[in-house]
Amino acid sequence: MIAALGLLAGILLALFLQPDVPLGLEPYLPIAVVAALDAVFGGLRAYLDGIFDDKVFVVSFVSNVVIAAAIVYLGDKLGVGGQLSTGVIVVLGIRIFSNVAAIRRHLFHA
Amino acid sequence: MADEWDRPLPAHVTTPLLTRITEQSMDEDYQQVALRKGTGDERPSGPARPRMVAAGVIAVFGVLITTAAVQTSADADITDASRETLIQRIKDERDQVEGQQRTIADLQDDTVGLQDALDVLTEDQAVATARQRRLEVATGYIAVRGEGVRITVNDPSNPRDTTQLVRDEDLAWLVDGLWEAGAEAIAINDQRLNGLGAIRNVGIGVRVNSLPVNPPYVIQAIGDTRTLQADLLDTTHGQQFFDLADQLGFDVNMQNDDGLQLPAARGPRLLHALRGTSGKPDMKNEEVNP
Repeated sequence: MIAALGLLAGILLALFLQPDVPLGLEPYLPIAVVAALDAVFGGLRAYLDGIFDDKVFVVSFVSNVVIAAAIVYLGDKLGVGGQLSTGVIVVLGIRIFSNVAAIRRHLFHA
Repeated sequence: MADEWDRPLPAHVTTPLLTRITEQSMDEDYQQVALRKGTGDERPSGPARPRMVAAGVIAVFGVLITTAAVQTSADADITDASRETLIQRIKDERDQVEGQQRTIADLQDDTVGLQDALDVLTEDQAVATARQRRLEVATGYIAVRGEGVRITVNDPSNPRDTTQLVRDEDLAWLVDGLWEAGAEAIAINDQRLNGLGAIRNVGIGVRVNSLPVNPPYVIQAIGDTRTLQADLLDTTHGQQFFDLADQLGFDVNMQNDDGLQLPAARGPRLLHALRGTSGKPDMKNEEVNP
Protein backbone atom coordinates (compact mmCIF):
# COMPACT_ATOMS: atom_id res chain seq x y z
CA MET A 1 0.00 0.00 0.00
CA ILE A 2 2.68 2.41 1.05
CA ALA A 3 4.71 1.33 -2.02
CA ALA A 4 1.81 2.16 -4.33
CA LEU A 5 1.50 5.56 -2.65
CA GLY A 6 5.22 6.10 -3.17
CA LEU A 7 4.89 5.24 -6.85
CA LEU A 8 1.94 7.60 -7.25
CA ALA A 9 3.83 10.37 -5.40
CA GLY A 10 6.86 9.88 -7.63
CA ILE A 11 4.80 10.02 -10.83
CA LEU A 12 2.95 13.14 -9.68
CA LEU A 13 6.19 14.77 -8.58
CA ALA A 14 7.79 14.14 -11.96
CA LEU A 15 4.72 15.38 -13.82
CA PHE A 16 4.60 18.46 -11.63
CA LEU A 17 8.28 19.33 -11.73
CA GLN A 18 9.01 18.13 -15.28
CA PRO A 19 12.72 17.63 -14.54
CA ASP A 20 14.96 18.31 -17.50
CA VAL A 21 17.41 15.49 -18.15
CA PRO A 22 20.85 16.73 -19.18
CA LEU A 23 21.68 15.89 -22.78
CA GLY A 24 24.68 13.81 -21.74
CA LEU A 25 22.58 11.51 -19.52
CA GLU A 26 19.66 11.16 -21.93
CA PRO A 27 20.85 7.91 -23.58
CA TYR A 28 21.19 6.19 -20.17
CA LEU A 29 17.75 7.05 -18.85
CA PRO A 30 15.78 4.35 -20.76
CA ILE A 31 18.25 1.60 -19.79
CA ALA A 32 18.15 2.81 -16.16
CA VAL A 33 14.37 2.62 -16.26
CA VAL A 34 14.48 -0.96 -17.57
CA ALA A 35 16.99 -1.90 -14.83
CA ALA A 36 14.77 -0.28 -12.21
CA LEU A 37 11.79 -2.13 -13.61
CA ASP A 38 13.68 -5.40 -13.15
CA ALA A 39 14.50 -4.53 -9.53
CA VAL A 40 10.88 -3.55 -8.84
CA PHE A 41 9.48 -6.76 -10.29
CA GLY A 42 12.10 -8.77 -8.40
CA GLY A 43 11.06 -7.02 -5.19
CA LEU A 44 7.37 -7.63 -5.90
CA ARG A 45 8.04 -11.34 -6.47
CA ALA A 46 10.03 -11.55 -3.25
CA TYR A 47 7.19 -9.79 -1.46
CA LEU A 48 4.71 -12.35 -2.77
CA ASP A 49 7.15 -15.13 -1.88
CA GLY A 50 7.21 -13.67 1.62
CA ILE A 51 10.97 -13.07 1.63
CA PHE A 52 10.96 -9.33 0.80
CA ASP A 53 13.67 -7.31 2.45
CA ASP A 54 13.96 -3.51 2.24
CA LYS A 55 17.73 -3.40 2.29
CA VAL A 56 18.10 -5.98 -0.48
CA PHE A 57 15.50 -4.16 -2.55
CA VAL A 58 17.17 -0.75 -2.19
CA VAL A 59 20.62 -2.15 -2.89
CA SER A 60 19.46 -4.17 -5.90
CA PHE A 61 17.54 -1.19 -7.26
CA VAL A 62 20.45 1.24 -7.00
CA SER A 63 23.05 -1.26 -8.20
CA ASN A 64 20.88 -2.35 -11.15
CA VAL A 65 20.38 1.22 -12.30
CA VAL A 66 24.00 2.24 -11.83
CA ILE A 67 25.47 -0.89 -13.43
CA ALA A 68 23.13 -0.78 -16.43
CA ALA A 69 23.95 2.88 -17.03
CA ALA A 70 27.65 2.21 -16.51
CA ILE A 71 27.68 -0.67 -19.01
CA VAL A 72 26.03 1.49 -21.64
CA TYR A 73 28.39 4.36 -20.85
CA LEU A 74 31.38 2.06 -21.23
CA GLY A 75 29.95 0.70 -24.48
CA ASP A 76 29.52 4.23 -25.79
CA LYS A 77 33.12 4.98 -24.98
CA LEU A 78 34.25 1.79 -26.74
CA GLY A 79 32.02 2.35 -29.74
CA VAL A 80 29.76 -0.65 -29.04
CA GLY A 81 27.10 1.23 -27.04
CA GLY A 82 24.27 -0.02 -29.20
CA GLN A 83 25.26 -3.68 -28.94
CA LEU A 84 25.84 -3.52 -25.17
CA SER A 85 22.47 -1.78 -24.70
CA THR A 86 20.86 -4.62 -26.62
CA GLY A 87 22.63 -7.20 -24.42
CA VAL A 88 21.53 -5.47 -21.21
CA ILE A 89 17.96 -5.11 -22.45
CA VAL A 90 17.82 -8.79 -23.44
CA VAL A 91 19.07 -10.03 -20.06
CA LEU A 92 16.88 -7.65 -18.07
CA GLY A 93 13.94 -8.44 -20.32
CA ILE A 94 14.27 -12.17 -19.70
CA ARG A 95 14.48 -11.56 -15.94
CA ILE A 96 11.46 -9.28 -16.00
CA PHE A 97 9.44 -11.83 -17.96
CA SER A 98 10.28 -14.73 -15.64
CA ASN A 99 9.64 -12.57 -12.55
CA VAL A 100 6.30 -11.47 -13.95
CA ALA A 101 5.50 -15.12 -14.70
CA ALA A 102 6.24 -16.01 -11.05
CA ILE A 103 4.09 -13.09 -9.85
CA ARG A 104 1.30 -14.27 -12.15
CA ARG A 105 1.52 -17.77 -10.63
CA HIS A 106 1.22 -16.25 -7.16
CA LEU A 107 -1.71 -13.99 -8.01
CA PHE A 108 -3.77 -16.27 -10.21
CA HIS A 109 -2.39 -19.65 -9.14
CA ALA A 110 -1.98 -20.47 -12.79
CA MET B 1 45.06 -34.31 -10.15
CA ALA B 2 42.97 -37.11 -11.53
CA ASP B 3 40.51 -36.62 -8.66
CA GLU B 4 39.93 -33.04 -9.69
CA TRP B 5 39.09 -34.15 -13.24
CA ASP B 6 36.75 -36.85 -12.04
CA ARG B 7 34.78 -34.54 -9.82
CA PRO B 8 31.48 -33.39 -11.44
CA LEU B 9 31.41 -29.80 -12.60
CA PRO B 10 29.48 -27.31 -10.44
CA ALA B 11 25.93 -26.37 -11.48
CA HIS B 12 26.76 -22.74 -12.37
CA VAL B 13 29.20 -24.04 -15.01
CA THR B 14 27.03 -26.67 -16.64
CA THR B 15 23.73 -24.79 -16.65
CA PRO B 16 23.04 -23.00 -19.97
CA LEU B 17 23.16 -19.23 -19.77
CA LEU B 18 19.51 -18.62 -20.62
CA THR B 19 18.32 -21.19 -18.11
CA ARG B 20 20.50 -19.61 -15.43
CA ILE B 21 19.12 -16.16 -16.16
CA THR B 22 15.58 -17.50 -16.00
CA GLU B 23 16.16 -19.44 -12.80
CA GLN B 24 17.93 -16.60 -11.02
CA SER B 25 15.60 -13.92 -12.24
CA MET B 26 14.97 -12.91 -8.65
CA ASP B 27 18.02 -11.72 -6.80
CA GLU B 28 19.48 -14.52 -4.67
CA ASP B 29 20.00 -12.03 -1.87
CA TYR B 30 16.32 -12.20 -0.92
CA GLN B 31 16.60 -15.94 -0.32
CA GLN B 32 19.90 -15.65 1.50
CA VAL B 33 18.60 -12.90 3.76
CA ALA B 34 15.47 -14.94 4.39
CA LEU B 35 17.65 -17.94 5.28
CA ARG B 36 19.69 -15.83 7.69
CA LYS B 37 16.52 -14.45 9.20
CA GLY B 38 15.25 -17.97 9.59
CA THR B 39 18.39 -18.93 11.46
CA GLY B 40 18.10 -15.77 13.56
CA ASP B 41 21.37 -14.23 12.45
CA GLU B 42 19.79 -11.05 11.17
CA ARG B 43 19.40 -8.38 13.75
CA PRO B 44 15.82 -7.25 13.91
CA SER B 45 15.13 -4.00 12.11
CA GLY B 46 12.35 -1.57 12.86
CA PRO B 47 9.42 -2.28 10.64
CA ALA B 48 8.29 1.31 9.93
CA ARG B 49 11.42 3.09 8.70
CA PRO B 50 12.66 0.55 6.14
CA ARG B 51 9.17 0.44 4.60
CA MET B 52 9.51 4.17 4.13
CA VAL B 53 12.87 3.68 2.48
CA ALA B 54 11.37 1.16 0.07
CA ALA B 55 8.55 3.58 -0.67
CA GLY B 56 11.11 6.32 -1.31
CA VAL B 57 12.93 4.08 -3.77
CA ILE B 58 9.64 3.27 -5.45
CA ALA B 59 8.98 7.01 -5.68
CA VAL B 60 12.38 7.47 -7.30
CA PHE B 61 11.38 4.72 -9.71
CA GLY B 62 8.19 6.61 -10.49
CA VAL B 63 10.15 9.79 -11.09
CA LEU B 64 12.54 7.91 -13.37
CA ILE B 65 9.88 6.22 -15.42
CA THR B 66 7.78 9.37 -15.77
CA THR B 67 10.77 11.49 -16.66
CA ALA B 68 11.83 8.98 -19.30
CA ALA B 69 8.33 8.94 -20.76
CA VAL B 70 8.05 12.73 -20.75
CA GLN B 71 11.50 13.06 -22.24
CA THR B 72 10.77 10.53 -24.96
CA SER B 73 7.53 12.21 -25.91
CA ALA B 74 9.27 15.59 -26.01
CA ASP B 75 12.03 14.10 -28.12
CA ALA B 76 9.41 12.54 -30.36
CA ASP B 77 8.08 16.02 -31.10
CA ILE B 78 11.57 17.16 -32.01
CA THR B 79 12.18 14.04 -34.11
CA ASP B 80 8.86 14.52 -35.85
CA ALA B 81 9.63 18.17 -36.41
CA SER B 82 13.03 17.46 -37.90
CA ARG B 83 11.52 14.69 -40.00
CA GLU B 84 8.84 17.08 -41.22
CA THR B 85 11.52 19.63 -41.98
CA LEU B 86 13.53 17.06 -43.91
CA ILE B 87 10.48 15.92 -45.88
CA GLN B 88 9.63 19.54 -46.62
CA ARG B 89 13.20 20.14 -47.76
CA ILE B 90 13.08 17.07 -49.99
CA LYS B 91 9.85 18.34 -51.51
CA ASP B 92 11.32 21.80 -52.02
CA GLU B 93 14.47 20.42 -53.59
CA ARG B 94 12.40 18.15 -55.84
CA ASP B 95 10.34 21.15 -56.93
CA GLN B 96 13.55 23.03 -57.59
CA VAL B 97 14.96 20.13 -59.62
CA GLU B 98 11.71 19.96 -61.57
CA GLY B 99 11.91 23.67 -62.29
CA GLN B 100 15.51 23.39 -63.35
CA GLN B 101 14.71 20.47 -65.63
CA ARG B 102 11.93 22.55 -67.18
CA THR B 103 14.45 25.35 -67.65
CA ILE B 104 16.85 22.88 -69.27
CA ALA B 105 14.13 21.75 -71.66
CA ASP B 106 13.26 25.37 -72.50
CA LEU B 107 16.91 26.21 -73.03
CA GLN B 108 17.34 23.16 -75.23
CA ASP B 109 14.38 24.30 -77.32
CA ASP B 110 15.95 27.74 -77.51
CA THR B 111 19.24 26.18 -78.53
CA VAL B 112 17.55 24.25 -81.33
CA GLY B 113 15.86 27.43 -82.54
CA LEU B 114 19.08 29.39 -82.36
CA GLN B 115 20.91 26.59 -84.14
CA ASP B 116 18.38 26.77 -86.97
CA ALA B 117 18.78 30.54 -87.10
CA LEU B 118 22.56 30.09 -87.13
CA ASP B 119 22.28 27.64 -90.02
CA VAL B 120 20.21 30.14 -92.00
CA LEU B 121 22.63 32.94 -91.16
CA THR B 122 25.65 30.83 -92.08
CA GLU B 123 24.04 30.07 -95.42
CA ASP B 124 23.31 33.77 -95.94
CA GLN B 125 26.86 34.61 -94.96
CA ALA B 126 28.25 32.10 -97.46
CA VAL B 127 26.08 33.61 -100.18
CA ALA B 128 27.12 37.12 -99.17
CA THR B 129 30.79 36.15 -99.03
CA ALA B 130 30.60 34.65 -102.50
CA ARG B 131 28.84 37.78 -103.75
CA GLN B 132 31.42 39.99 -102.06
CA ARG B 133 34.16 37.95 -103.70
CA ARG B 134 32.58 38.41 -107.12
CA LEU B 135 32.11 42.11 -106.50
CA GLU B 136 35.67 42.52 -105.27
CA VAL B 137 36.91 40.94 -108.50
CA ALA B 138 34.52 42.89 -110.74
CA THR B 139 35.16 46.23 -109.08
CA GLY B 140 38.90 45.73 -108.96
CA TYR B 141 38.93 46.01 -105.16
CA ILE B 142 41.50 43.21 -104.87
CA ALA B 143 44.39 42.00 -106.98
CA VAL B 144 43.51 38.83 -108.91
CA ARG B 145 45.32 36.20 -110.89
CA GLY B 146 44.22 33.44 -113.18
CA GLU B 147 43.99 32.28 -116.76
CA GLY B 148 42.93 34.71 -119.45
CA VAL B 149 43.86 36.51 -122.61
CA ARG B 150 46.75 38.91 -123.13
CA ILE B 151 46.18 41.31 -126.07
CA THR B 152 49.04 43.53 -127.11
CA VAL B 153 48.00 46.53 -129.24
CA ASN B 154 50.66 48.75 -130.75
CA ASP B 155 50.64 51.76 -133.04
CA PRO B 156 51.35 51.10 -136.69
CA SER B 157 55.08 50.83 -137.34
CA ASN B 158 55.12 53.77 -139.72
CA PRO B 159 51.97 55.87 -139.28
CA ARG B 160 51.08 58.49 -141.86
CA ASP B 161 49.81 60.90 -139.19
CA THR B 162 48.57 60.94 -135.63
CA THR B 163 45.09 59.82 -136.69
CA GLN B 164 46.56 56.37 -137.29
CA LEU B 165 47.67 56.04 -133.68
CA VAL B 166 45.73 53.99 -131.16
CA ARG B 167 43.18 56.20 -129.45
CA ASP B 168 41.17 55.95 -126.26
CA GLU B 169 37.97 54.93 -128.02
CA ASP B 170 39.76 52.10 -129.81
CA LEU B 171 40.88 50.67 -126.52
CA ALA B 172 37.45 51.33 -125.06
CA TRP B 173 35.86 49.25 -127.82
CA LEU B 174 38.26 46.42 -127.13
CA VAL B 175 37.61 46.62 -123.40
CA ASP B 176 33.84 46.76 -123.89
CA GLY B 177 34.11 43.75 -126.17
CA LEU B 178 36.06 41.88 -123.54
CA TRP B 179 33.48 42.70 -120.85
CA GLU B 180 30.75 41.51 -123.22
CA ALA B 181 32.69 38.31 -123.95
CA GLY B 182 32.66 37.50 -120.27
CA ALA B 183 35.98 38.80 -118.97
CA GLU B 184 35.99 38.99 -115.16
CA ALA B 185 38.82 41.49 -114.69
CA ILE B 186 40.68 43.70 -117.14
CA ALA B 187 43.81 45.79 -116.87
CA ILE B 188 45.62 47.98 -119.40
CA ASN B 189 49.35 48.26 -118.80
CA ASP B 190 48.76 47.11 -115.23
CA GLN B 191 46.06 49.73 -114.70
CA ARG B 192 43.05 47.81 -113.46
CA LEU B 193 39.75 48.92 -114.95
CA ASN B 194 36.54 49.27 -112.98
CA GLY B 195 33.36 51.29 -112.97
CA LEU B 196 35.10 54.43 -111.80
CA GLY B 197 38.04 54.22 -114.17
CA ALA B 198 38.15 55.77 -117.61
CA ILE B 199 40.16 55.64 -120.83
CA ARG B 200 40.73 59.13 -122.22
CA ASN B 201 42.82 60.87 -124.75
CA VAL B 202 44.78 63.90 -123.77
CA GLY B 203 46.30 65.20 -126.98
CA ILE B 204 47.70 62.13 -128.63
CA GLY B 205 48.49 60.37 -125.35
CA VAL B 206 46.14 57.81 -123.79
CA ARG B 207 45.32 57.99 -120.11
CA VAL B 208 43.87 55.14 -118.19
CA ASN B 209 42.43 55.96 -114.79
CA SER B 210 43.92 59.46 -115.29
CA LEU B 211 47.42 58.02 -115.57
CA PRO B 212 49.30 58.15 -118.86
CA VAL B 213 50.04 54.82 -120.52
CA ASN B 214 52.38 54.32 -123.45
CA PRO B 215 52.27 51.93 -126.37
CA PRO B 216 52.46 49.03 -126.66
CA TYR B 217 49.20 48.71 -124.78
CA VAL B 218 48.99 45.36 -123.03
CA ILE B 219 45.40 44.47 -122.21
CA GLN B 220 45.09 41.59 -119.78
CA ALA B 221 41.66 40.05 -119.34
CA ILE B 222 40.95 37.21 -116.98
CA GLY B 223 38.27 34.84 -118.20
CA ASP B 224 37.67 31.44 -119.74
CA THR B 225 40.60 30.88 -122.13
CA ARG B 226 38.57 28.37 -124.13
CA THR B 227 35.88 30.86 -125.15
CA LEU B 228 37.11 34.35 -124.42
CA GLN B 229 38.94 35.00 -127.75
CA ALA B 230 36.16 33.55 -129.91
CA ASP B 231 33.44 35.35 -127.92
CA LEU B 232 35.37 38.61 -128.25
CA LEU B 233 35.31 38.31 -132.04
CA ASP B 234 31.56 37.69 -131.87
CA THR B 235 30.76 40.87 -129.95
CA THR B 236 29.84 44.13 -131.72
CA HIS B 237 32.53 46.14 -130.00
CA GLY B 238 35.14 43.45 -130.58
CA GLN B 239 34.36 43.31 -134.27
CA GLN B 240 34.45 47.10 -134.50
CA PHE B 241 37.88 47.14 -132.86
CA PHE B 242 39.38 44.46 -135.06
CA ASP B 243 37.91 46.04 -138.25
CA LEU B 244 39.48 49.34 -137.24
CA ALA B 245 42.76 47.68 -136.38
CA ASP B 246 42.81 46.09 -139.82
CA GLN B 247 42.05 49.39 -141.53
CA LEU B 248 44.58 51.44 -139.58
CA GLY B 249 47.22 48.72 -139.44
CA PHE B 250 47.48 48.34 -135.64
CA ASP B 251 49.86 45.68 -134.52
CA VAL B 252 47.52 43.38 -132.55
CA ASN B 253 48.75 40.23 -130.88
CA MET B 254 46.33 38.05 -128.89
CA GLN B 255 47.27 34.97 -126.90
CA ASN B 256 46.06 32.93 -123.97
CA ASP B 257 47.99 33.06 -120.73
CA ASP B 258 47.55 30.72 -117.77
CA GLY B 259 49.21 32.98 -115.23
CA LEU B 260 47.85 36.49 -115.53
CA GLN B 261 48.30 38.73 -112.53
CA LEU B 262 46.20 41.86 -112.25
CA PRO B 263 46.74 44.48 -109.57
CA ALA B 264 43.95 46.03 -107.57
CA ALA B 265 42.37 49.17 -108.93
CA ARG B 266 43.38 52.53 -107.56
CA GLY B 267 41.05 53.51 -104.81
CA PRO B 268 38.58 56.21 -105.68
CA ARG B 269 39.60 59.64 -104.60
CA LEU B 270 36.86 60.70 -102.22
CA LEU B 271 36.11 64.38 -102.20
CA HIS B 272 33.08 64.60 -99.94
CA ALA B 273 32.78 61.35 -98.07
CA LEU B 274 34.64 61.09 -94.78
CA ARG B 275 35.78 58.00 -93.00
CA GLY B 276 33.81 57.19 -89.87
CA THR B 277 32.31 59.70 -87.47
CA SER B 278 34.32 59.23 -84.31
CA GLY B 279 33.47 62.78 -83.28
CA LYS B 280 36.98 64.18 -83.57
CA PRO B 281 36.60 67.73 -84.86
CA ASP B 282 40.15 67.90 -86.24
CA MET B 283 39.29 65.02 -88.55
CA LYS B 284 36.39 66.91 -90.05
CA ASN B 285 38.13 68.50 -93.02
CA GLU B 286 40.75 65.83 -93.52
CA GLU B 287 40.54 64.07 -96.82
CA VAL B 288 40.83 60.36 -96.54
CA ASN B 289 42.17 58.24 -99.32
CA PRO B 290 41.52 54.62 -98.41
